[in-house]
Amino acid sequence: MEHIYQYSWIISFVTLPVPMLIGVGLLLFPAATKKLRRMWAFPSVFLLSIVMIFSIDLSIQQINSSFIYQYIWSWTINNDFSLEFGHLIDPLTSILSVLITTVGILVLFYSDNYMSHDQGYLRFFAYMSFFTTSMLGLVTSSNLIQIYIFWELVGVCSYLLIGFWFTRPIASNACQKAFVTNRVGDFGLLLGILGLYWITGSFEFRDLFKIFNNLIYNNQVNFLFVTLCAFLLFSGAIAKSAQFPLHVWLPDAMEGPTPISALIHAATMVAAGIFLVARLFPLFVIIPFIMNLIALIGIITVFLGVTLALAQKDIKRSLAYSTMSQLGYTMLALGMGSYRAALFHLITHAYSKALLFLGSGSIIHSMEAILGYSPDKSQNMVLMGGLTKHIPITKTAFLLGTLSLCGIPPFACFWSKDEILNDSWLYSPIFAIIACFTAGLTAFYMFRVYLLTFDGHFNAHFKNYSGKKNSSFYSISLWGKEGSKMLNKNFRLLALLTMNNKERDSFFGKNTYQIDGNVRNMTWPFITVKNFNTKRIFSYPHESDNTMLFPMLILVLFTLFIGAIGIPFNQFNQEGIQLDIDILSKLLTPSLNLLHQNPENSVDWYEFVTNAIFSVSIAFFGIFIASFLYKPVYSSLLNFNFFNSFAKKGPKRIFWDKIINVIYNWSSNRGYIDAFYAISFIGGIRKLVELIHFFDKRIIDGITNGVGVTSFFVGEGIKYVGSGRISSYLLFYLFYALIFLLI
Amino acid sequence: MNSFPWLTIFVVLPISAGSLIFLFPHRGNKVIKWYTIFICAFELLLMNYVFSYYFQLDDPLIQLTEDYKWIQFFDFYWRLGIDGFSLGPILLTGFITTLATLAARPITRDSRLFHFLMLAMYSGQIGLFSSQDLLLFFIMWELELIPVYLLLSMWGGKKRLYSATKFILYTAGGSVFLLMGALGIALYGSNEPRFHFETSANQSYPVALEIFFYIGFLIAFAVKSPIIPLHTWLPDTHGEAHYSTCMLLAGILLKMGAYGLVRINMELLSHAHSIFSPWLIIVGVMQIIYAASTSPGQRNLKKRIAYSSVSHMGFIIIGICSISDMGLNGAILQIISHGFIGAALFFLAGTGYDRIRRVYLDEMGGMATSMPKIFTTFSILSLASLALPGMSGFFAELIVFFGIITGQKYLLMSKILITFVMAVGMILTPIYLLSMLRQMFYGYKLFNAPNSSFFDSGPRELFVSISILLPVIGIGIYPDFVFSLSVDRVEAILSNYFYR
Repeated sequence: MEHIYQYSWIISFVTLPVPMLIGVGLLLFPAATKKLRRMWAFPSVFLLSIVMIFSIDLSIQQINSSFIYQYIWSWTINNDFSLEFGHLIDPLTSILSVLITTVGILVLFYSDNYMSHDQGYLRFFAYMSFFTTSMLGLVTSSNLIQIYIFWELVGVCSYLLIGFWFTRPIASNACQKAFVTNRVGDFGLLLGILGLYWITGSFEFRDLFKIFNNLIYNNQVNFLFVTLCAFLLFSGAIAKSAQFPLHVWLPDAMEGPTPISALIHAATMVAAGIFLVARLFPLFVIIPFIMNLIALIGIITVFLGVTLALAQKDIKRSLAYSTMSQLGYTMLALGMGSYRAALFHLITHAYSKALLFLGSGSIIHSMEAILGYSPDKSQNMVLMGGLTKHIPITKTAFLLGTLSLCGIPPFACFWSKDEILNDSWLYSPIFAIIACFTAGLTAFYMFRVYLLTFDGHFNAHFKNYSGKKNSSFYSISLWGKEGSKMLNKNFRLLALLTMNNKERDSFFGKNTYQIDGNVRNMTWPFITVKNFNTKRIFSYPHESDNTMLFPMLILVLFTLFIGAIGIPFNQFNQEGIQLDIDILSKLLTPSLNLLHQNPENSVDWYEFVTNAIFSVSIAFFGIFIASFLYKPVYSSLLNFNFFNSFAKKGPKRIFWDKIINVIYNWSSNRGYIDAFYAISFIGGIRKLVELIHFFDKRIIDGITNGVGVTSFFVGEGIKYVGSGRISSYLLFYLFYALIFLLI
Repeated sequence: MNSFPWLTIFVVLPISAGSLIFLFPHRGNKVIKWYTIFICAFELLLMNYVFSYYFQLDDPLIQLTEDYKWIQFFDFYWRLGIDGFSLGPILLTGFITTLATLAARPITRDSRLFHFLMLAMYSGQIGLFSSQDLLLFFIMWELELIPVYLLLSMWGGKKRLYSATKFILYTAGGSVFLLMGALGIALYGSNEPRFHFETSANQSYPVALEIFFYIGFLIAFAVKSPIIPLHTWLPDTHGEAHYSTCMLLAGILLKMGAYGLVRINMELLSHAHSIFSPWLIIVGVMQIIYAASTSPGQRNLKKRIAYSSVSHMGFIIIGICSISDMGLNGAILQIISHGFIGAALFFLAGTGYDRIRRVYLDEMGGMATSMPKIFTTFSILSLASLALPGMSGFFAELIVFFGIITGQKYLLMSKILITFVMAVGMILTPIYLLSMLRQMFYGYKLFNAPNSSFFDSGPRELFVSISILLPVIGIGIYPDFVFSLSVDRVEAILSNYFYR
């Protein structure tokens, strides 16, 4: 069966023609290409499903016989240096490629509908296919340079997709922020790669690990330098997986279209950092300091993500912080050395979070028809509520995803998160306490999201009270005039795009804005403003189309059953020894598992049940608090009473309010970290730039100009002196004669 | 081998064909434009043909040599010849000049003179890259300046006279040192001047004298390259010149400095080079950071791109001074790659300027919806410029990094420090390039210009940008295209340093 490995190159290359063709077509024959439109979606889905079938087949092979396959061909040869390209198929690769392709196909399916009325439909598909290509290239790559190449390509795809709606100023800022932040990580990654090359002289993973082990074993390298290199490598993972100091880009990245948030910023690309750490696990394991650092960064991120998610108004942003904290769990697991748990959580979280994001996309899609295309409105949870009645299927899917993420037993994330929590008790009690506490908080904020969105009454009429005056900017239709026509066709039943002249005047009266000193009026053939007055409150959101619901249902299935790959099924073999035959461990047996040195330890049902009960009860506690706080007051009298009794406790309540205020401020200001970065780094760089610009212009250029000007004056002076006037010569002559006489 | 003087033809053909332009009847500009483009393309094709048939890639020696005595009493020879190292720049010259003439089609004023100057520049550049004689090198170097000066001062922007004067003063000032160095080398140790590269390469000088020569040449090339702090002519010049001139300036003219550094400073004065290279590396590293952090402060779009090319020149300097196989290869690759990318960026900036008539970035915005093609090509090329893998810039910079790491000359600590600071430039580059993109294309800002819709790029502009894009991506995916030209020669150059 090994012949299948020979064809494994198709994993990374087969989807490449689609983005290339679309790109060339859009550039050279835009009209013809755009006419084909939907025709382009089919080949991309088709090719991706080929890859999916292939990678599923590969991973089945991997389960049956763990076998690492590597194929290399040389890329460039220089006499003392050769770069190679290749692919490496091992359990990690096969798991991730299955993950990427399944989520990728579902998201492609979903976005066919979600983006169908967007002008950039084809561009979107080109970017998406390019992303899946480079992501698959990343997971199959066999050396560090290749990893770096695809790492950057993935980052660029993310940049392009975040800035997909480039007419939105927020989106254009967000994509730049994402790219630059990721570049900081790449900086570390590149330096780490170079350092490791310097130490070992190889990029190939397996050679590298071998040489590295030998060197460490024989104590031939400077330990500090090795640690530094490992840390730099890890910093690439920090940026990509949105871990603590470099997490700032992820919430902003939610400006991209929602399918992208599901695919790139929840399921796959952010997992690239985890992948990198997992890939280099044999290297990191040798250096205990780095392992502790990974765990520490993980736990900080878990905590930070959770606290920041507590009071977000934007549904996607809240999910983004949740992604961040869940990735923190994964990182924590890696840092603790439980490789299996980390990958397990990576998989389960990817499916659950993709489900949640697709669900939120469906919600946004329904809300946009009513509230307009502004992320401030259509993603604002304050304006939602009571959607259960209107979009029941999405609600069910979203609820299941929420339950999974909270860690409620039958669902996927329960199994993996429970494993991580268990392992954390073995690792360090402090980390474990924080991890358990945040598990509770996770349940709390996820249910907050759920309740605000689906429970209670529809709140869209509040949007006019939402205090933000300048939000009218964003109701500018995305693609100018043509786009609005499309919208018109689309939502014919809400003939909202017109408004009377009076309002228009007042609108433009207010909106003169300042560009660089000159006040300009917005010219308005370009703009269509959707102004919705309160009469329209009676229009309600509608359920999305079937093409959007179908991928969600598939993901629900995944969420329900993907946990099965990590659940140990007890079986006895002939000798009566208990064996746990869970698929994941079978895949990862040869890999390292530090915490469970003794295999008997792993299947201890009693311990498992107690731990599970503990973590589930924490989750339920979180859910209970959430429903107590966010269940609309009028929905149940009981709660109301309870609330009253709570309110009576005078001074304590003030204290409580203060705490809530602190948390809210912390969360809504994003933990003040963004502000800190803005002041310290961006401000610092701006000042430095101004200073250097000044230096360049005034001093370096000034010297040259000064030389020029002085030479001009000297020339003029000499001209004046040597102008041939006899009187001046006489004057000079007398002058010198006088001096000579005096001396 | 063959005795047919191909190189002489390459050098003489453009300028002689160009002087025929003045004999043309007054029939409008179209004939002249087509004629010029034809000449350029013909020359490019002819060069490709000749090099593919008569040039052996695996031979590190000078090939296609020609040696004629030109001026009798002076021992001045017309010596031409190319090797693997000069092949790349020559082909680049042909390519970029052809595209630049294509890009210059909108020019109508004095188009005879303009096109003649373009062709004269073509001759000068090819002559420079293929000359094997110090004095010929110097003459070609000077020949190059005059067309640039005229092109700048006649077809430039508002401050064209200022920048043209600045340019000519700077470069002529540099040329003085070049001449001094050339004469010094030629006259040392013998009564009759010897300008031939090969004879002077084998000569050895007293250290002090060698250092003196080295400084002289360095100043000349540092002005052209440019190396800080002699770079201030470049933003002004690029900011004012017409974009076809800018393409030539950024694509080829800057590379002449780097070429000269390798050809003369490295080959002829190897001892001084190994003394100076640590300092030059420090300068190069500073240049990367300095220019990359000056660039975001520029409001003028073209100046911002100009500073970005100053910053990228830093990699070339580091590569040259790393004195390692890979570093020099990386420098050559960066010469070629930046030739493409810089030229393309200036071209696109110029076409954008033709449409909106604004040079200041903070006045622009929201152009993406009205000109998607320019947007696409511009963003791809900016990504190429910030060293995105898969494009040529990435590979060049990567190889330069490896050159530093593997070079045997430097100590561990200094290596770490150098790579670290160089890599900081990697963070700064996207900041200015992406914010440039953002300010130009992203957003919704609308002009109150009377015609608020612009034409997207037509087939000609699209052709130019795509034909630059293809080699950029091609080299990025398969860098051996360039390496195969220069690897053997690089080894030959470096062998001086190791067997000494």
